[in-house]
Amino acid sequence: MKKLVQFRNIVKNFDGQLVLKGINLDIYENEFVTLLGPSGCGKTTLLRILGGFLEPDEGNVIFDGEDISKLPPYKRDLNTVFQRYALFPHMNVYDNVAFGLNIKKEPKDLVEQKVMRMLTLVGLEDFSRRGINEMSGGQQQRVAIARALVNEPKVLLLDEPLSALDAKLRKEMQRELKRIQREVGITFIFVTHDQEEALTMSDKVVVMKEGEIQQVGSPTDIYNEPVNRYVANFIGDSNIVDGVMVEDYKVSFEDKTFDCVDSGFGQNTPVDVVIRPEDLDIVGPRSGQLRGIVKSVLFKGVHYETVVETSAGTAITVDMIVTEDKPVKNEVAGEMMDANDFYVDILDLDELSDGFIINRADAQAWNPENDERISISSVDYEIKKEKGTYPVTFSTAAGTSVTVNMIVAEVNKVVDEDYGEEIYAVNFFKKADELAESIALKTDLKIWANAYADDLEDNSPVQITDVVYDFDPANIVPGTYKVTFKTQGYEYKVDTTDKFEVGAQVGLKFTPEDIHIMKKEMGE
Amino acid sequence: MKHYKKMVYPYVAWISVMVVAPMLLIMFYAFTKDGNAVLDFVFTLENFKKFFSDTIFISVLGRSLKIAVITTVICLAVGYPAGYFISKCADGVKMKWILLITFPTWINMMVRTYAWRGILQDDGIINKFFGLFGLGPVPMLNTGFAVVLGMVYNFLPFMIIQIYTSLAKLDTSLLEAAADLGANKTKSFLRITLPLSIPGVLSGITLVFLPAVSSFYIPEMLGGGRYYMIGNLIETQFLTTENWNFGSAVSLIMVIIIIVSMYFTGKADKTEIMEQRGN
Repeated sequence: MKKLVQFRNIVKNFDGQLVLKGINLDIYENEFVTLLGPSGCGKTTLLRILGGFLEPDEGNVIFDGEDISKLPPYKRDLNTVFQRYALFPHMNVYDNVAFGLNIKKEPKDLVEQKVMRMLTLVGLEDFSRRGINEMSGGQQQRVAIARALVNEPKVLLLDEPLSALDAKLRKEMQRELKRIQREVGITFIFVTHDQEEALTMSDKVVVMKEGEIQQVGSPTDIYNEPVNRYVANFIGDSNIVDGVMVEDYKVSFEDKTFDCVDSGFGQNTPVDVVIRPEDLDIVGPRSGQLRGIVKSVLFKGVHYETVVETSAGTAITVDMIVTEDKPVKNEVAGEMMDANDFYVDILDLDELSDGFIINRADAQAWNPENDERISISSVDYEIKKEKGTYPVTFSTAAGTSVTVNMIVAEVNKVVDEDYGEEIYAVNFFKKADELAESIALKTDLKIWANAYADDLEDNSPVQITDVVYDFDPANIVPGTYKVTFKTQGYEYKVDTTDKFEVGAQVGLKFTPEDIHIMKKEMGE
Repeated sequence: MKHYKKMVYPYVAWISVMVVAPMLLIMFYAFTKDGNAVLDFVFTLENFKKFFSDTIFISVLGRSLKIAVITTVICLAVGYPAGYFISKCADGVKMKWILLITFPTWINMMVRTYAWRGILQDDGIINKFFGLFGLGPVPMLNTGFAVVLGMVYNFLPFMIIQIYTSLAKLDTSLLEAAADLGANKTKSFLRITLPLSIPGVLSGITLVFLPAVSSFYIPEMLGGGRYYMIGNLIETQFLTTENWNFGSAVSLIMVIIIIVSMYFTGKADKTEIMEQRGN
């Protein structure tokens, strides 16, 4: 096959932001190529450079053996289907399609022949006299395709042409586009952010991220052998776990060693292990390679997406001490005031500020007549840099004051070497009615307990995905309760046709062929 | 929704008293004679006969139409490139241009027109400048040139704004599509930009032609009475000769001319829309 389009080290800046970081890509004759990536990855920019609407800052575009980098769009032998079609509103369907031919001053009868043939190709032969605004989205799409194809370009560029259509029409147009491409036998370069669209239509998929090409390959290659975590995540749902390539054909993850079909990673190399949800089977707890608990089940139409947790994440449990609500009343000033005792990490003492203390103590003053908040004008306390209990007094300008205890305690954290994570949280005091008033209880509990987790290696934050508590928020009475914060453990998404009970003990089964190994990326 | 309709009543009352009633009175005066003889009025077509049988009145009408047409053509010739240029500017620059163009209209039109007298008169700034080279003085005030200049000066902003607005609405992806299909800049202007800006051009023409044809102040100020237009004729009938019946008839003729010309521009606009729909 002949190379039709060659991008040679294309670099493009927008306002100092590098949008394309040196793209090299060859596109062959009669290929259906998809540029796939999230918005902002540079795929549309690359297409617009090929169309001639943007000039690259560096690099060359070779088209059919000729450098076209400096050629204006109207001299390029390719046509574009624009994202919102860009049909001419003052012309009917026929005149829109005939536009390119009329510009080239082709004879009238030839124009008519070509236009009608093209309208037949896209199934709009009976609509030639219709106005553009009388056409539906799908029909406008077809007009745009016909208008581009009638010029017999060597390459057709399509800039997210299906994004404005509803799901059903989009599926229909995917098939239609593929049929048209086979029939006219030219190269289609298709830009999309929809991985399913890319997989169903393309001969070749180019996965892009932040101005760089991640992987180029056939849809099956890309799906089965993604080169990195990013591609695996972008193309379909994946389970990606940390593993170690022990030797060729042997990979270890979750403290077990499994046979696999990959080689060439060296010995004892850290890798990412990918297992697709549809390759996993749920079996009895003793007959699978991994054991776990069903955490959630989502109905997806054709199947259930069952999430199985094989090992829990890092967890920390703290006490929540619920007390009666006893606000202080200042009859003279007409003010009410309230605050909680509170815990502070010994490490946080360095960053102690009035605002921090007011927050932790949940100190507030208000006017009982109209419920208006009154600001706290002073926070008085005396502390030593050691564990202990210290009184803190909050007061307003009118003289209302409340004194509570600040309990300085040892840092409360749990370190999990296996996950390389640590998690922090402190005990806290709360009033019963505050609990009842919370509209996002789990988030509030995280804030009240000052709970956070981070990565041991680079201190980057790790999300706390689960908050478990042993009380009924609707019926809370004073007392001490346990609240547990957890990070995500190892979880596997499994596509199943049966519905499993949440909490059931299950096993996970897979074959060596189901395990895909990827090199770990630097910096991840 | 329904009870909100009642909020329209004050406007209906206002329009009835301030617009409809005077119009009806003008019609009444146009078809009667003898001034304010409201009680023992006599219907007559005399006023219209007087207008159409006298060549002076016809020539006044002809002159009004001619000056209005010249003004409109000049405004279009200057306004289209100006509107086009502004629509191509960066967003912030656009607003500055629009502000500059509309800025003079914040000052009363009479004041601005009066200022032109000073500029154009024989010892005005232009002739003084010519004098430096031993030229002139070139008589400019009280000529047709001065009248047209005054009108173009006053009405040009309306044309520019209308054309700019229609060009600014133009989807730039249409121009990209035209370029993609092989059209160079000239062809894409002629086939895409121009046809899609026609509605703006038509409303610009309406907004310039109508005040130009009925203007009486500009010809009086800058034409020195020699460029007597239909507006002046009406003014004289009401204020000087106090022949309200004849003045009303001329006004009515003007109203009919305006309605007819609006009908035709409206029709041109409609065919444009019909074409857009592909009929």
